[in-house]
Amino acid sequence: MGRQIVHRLLISLPALLGVLFLCFCLMQVVPADPAAIIAGPDAKADTIAAIRLELGLDRPILVQFAEYIWRVAHGDLGRSIISNKMVIEEIASTMGPTLELMIAGMLFAIPIGMSLGTIAAVKRGTWLDRSIMAIAVAGVSMPIFFIGLILIQYVGYKWGLLPFLGRAGPVWAGGLPNLILPALTLGSVLIGPIARLTRTSVLEVLGADYVRTARAKGLRERVVIVHHALRNALIPVVTLIGLQAAFLLGGAVVTETMFSWPGVGRLAVGAIISSDFPTAQGAIMILALAFLLINLLVDVMYVYLDPRVARQ
Amino acid sequence: MTMHAPLALDAAPDAPVATPEQSQAVLPSRRSLIRRLARDKAAALAATFLTMVVLAAIFAPIVAPYDPYFTDLSKAMQAPSAAHWFGTDTAGRDVLSRVIYGARNTLAIGLIGVIVGGVVGGFFGILAAYFRRLDGWIMRIVDIMLAFPAILLGLAVAAIAGAGLTAVIIAVVVATIPDVARVARGAAIGVMGQEFMEAGRAVGVSDAALIWRYLTLNCISTIFVFLTLRFGQIILIGSALSFLGLGAQPPTAELGMMASQGRDFLFISEHIAIIPSLMIFLIVLAANILGDAFRDVLDPRLQQ
Repeated sequence: MGRQIVHRLLISLPALLGVLFLCFCLMQVVPADPAAIIAGPDAKADTIAAIRLELGLDRPILVQFAEYIWRVAHGDLGRSIISNKMVIEEIASTMGPTLELMIAGMLFAIPIGMSLGTIAAVKRGTWLDRSIMAIAVAGVSMPIFFIGLILIQYVGYKWGLLPFLGRAGPVWAGGLPNLILPALTLGSVLIGPIARLTRTSVLEVLGADYVRTARAKGLRERVVIVHHALRNALIPVVTLIGLQAAFLLGGAVVTETMFSWPGVGRLAVGAIISSDFPTAQGAIMILALAFLLINLLVDVMYVYLDPRVARQ
Repeated sequence: MTMHAPLALDAAPDAPVATPEQSQAVLPSRRSLIRRLARDKAAALAATFLTMVVLAAIFAPIVAPYDPYFTDLSKAMQAPSAAHWFGTDTAGRDVLSRVIYGARNTLAIGLIGVIVGGVVGGFFGILAAYFRRLDGWIMRIVDIMLAFPAILLGLAVAAIAGAGLTAVIIAVVVATIPDVARVARGAAIGVMGQEFMEAGRAVGVSDAALIWRYLTLNCISTIFVFLTLRFGQIILIGSALSFLGLGAQPPTAELGMMASQGRDFLFISEHIAIIPSLMIFLIVLAANILGDAFRDVLDPRLQQ
């Protein structure tokens, strides 16, 4: 198993370099001269030249790339043009809220999605199955901002049940009400895929020999499903949840922007719109790295869950 | 999606794959394909709805009751009425007309993403399967591309090239390529193992003919099904980017952007944001239902 994990780590190295290179390129191809932006509109030519020298913009691209990796490895992502704070500090303060939102979204979606999928599989072919699958297809087809708009308009504004603007601190310090609507919005996109895959997976397992054996032993149906079927059906579902966690990052960008949630996604969008290139570059890089890391974790977890993979 | 009755095509995965000459016989003819789809009521409804939307989008200048860019502030934010079925927006523009023109841009994003991403991704996927020397390189690049989820790509492209429809289109195309390449490679590797490939090579068929007539034509239904299922996702990504303000810019009518503009006035008149969002939902829903139906008929093996 250890070898498998090392192998997987080696495979993700080129992807890591690729992500870093693309982020580095972001800075290279922006239409404006970064030195000119940092110096401001009224700067003299020699001020700009001095900044260029300071930033190392006059050196060969590959040298600059190597230096960039060096800086990133030391947590130096430059300064925000807008707030003049270190980008790494800005990102550090937004990572917690994003993580919190994603975990809350998954805590909401996983139990619902898996129960719906299991019910649909057990009641295969009935109206219950058909309606659950119809809900799942609808869920997959729903733009995430549509759900957000409806929740804001009705639960938040018209009925006044829950706050929908910003974050009020950590969950344990009274931040829970503010977290609910964004988490529902983000989690709702996960329910459909999880329900669909759980159904397929449970159906497959229900036809397996060991389930027939369990039934033949005279076990109660509930025991058969919960202890024999569900556990084995879980393996592909866990993989899917991991993969979706990565895509949840994309959903988080939209959700954070809608609910003014102070996360990395909102930071990135705001930075792009206000042409704050260092911040945009740093935030995009962190999101891409998080995506890589989640995929890596899923693969490792997969080996752990299903030892057959390691033996291959 | 409801389960469909097993079809003749529902053969075991290791059933013999058709040679190019036989494929005509094994693939359902176009007429029987349509008949099968028509039997599936949800798919028929979805196809009808999509056809209507596409026709309305193509003939937007004829169908739209008003000029989608004509502003009249004295009529701003009116609720739906007989004169304006979907009401008016913040600048007094007719929302129905803007939805029709907006569907045009939104559908175009989806189509360009599917076609360009499908052709480029399919090309490289099949190349990787045919020339094993290229395989490692191509798949490594695909892995790197997969490290950037579509929304992030959109953010990156918008950061470089500036927000706009072009940024969205580049993002959805680049996001589609690696996925299609993977699917096409998988399908092509399956076909490569077939005897007719070896037979073709033995009688001296050129690489180009082998790749196109023997390999590509046998992978096309798999790629097609994948792309129909992908179409809705591309629209969702494109409209999300526009919603964030990184895609189509005002006053261009695009459904995601319209929802975003309406969001600022949600509490005053909700229809401005809700109607375009609902429209996106219906288009994607119809595309997904149709994609599922295509999959069941054309390529049951692709089912999860």
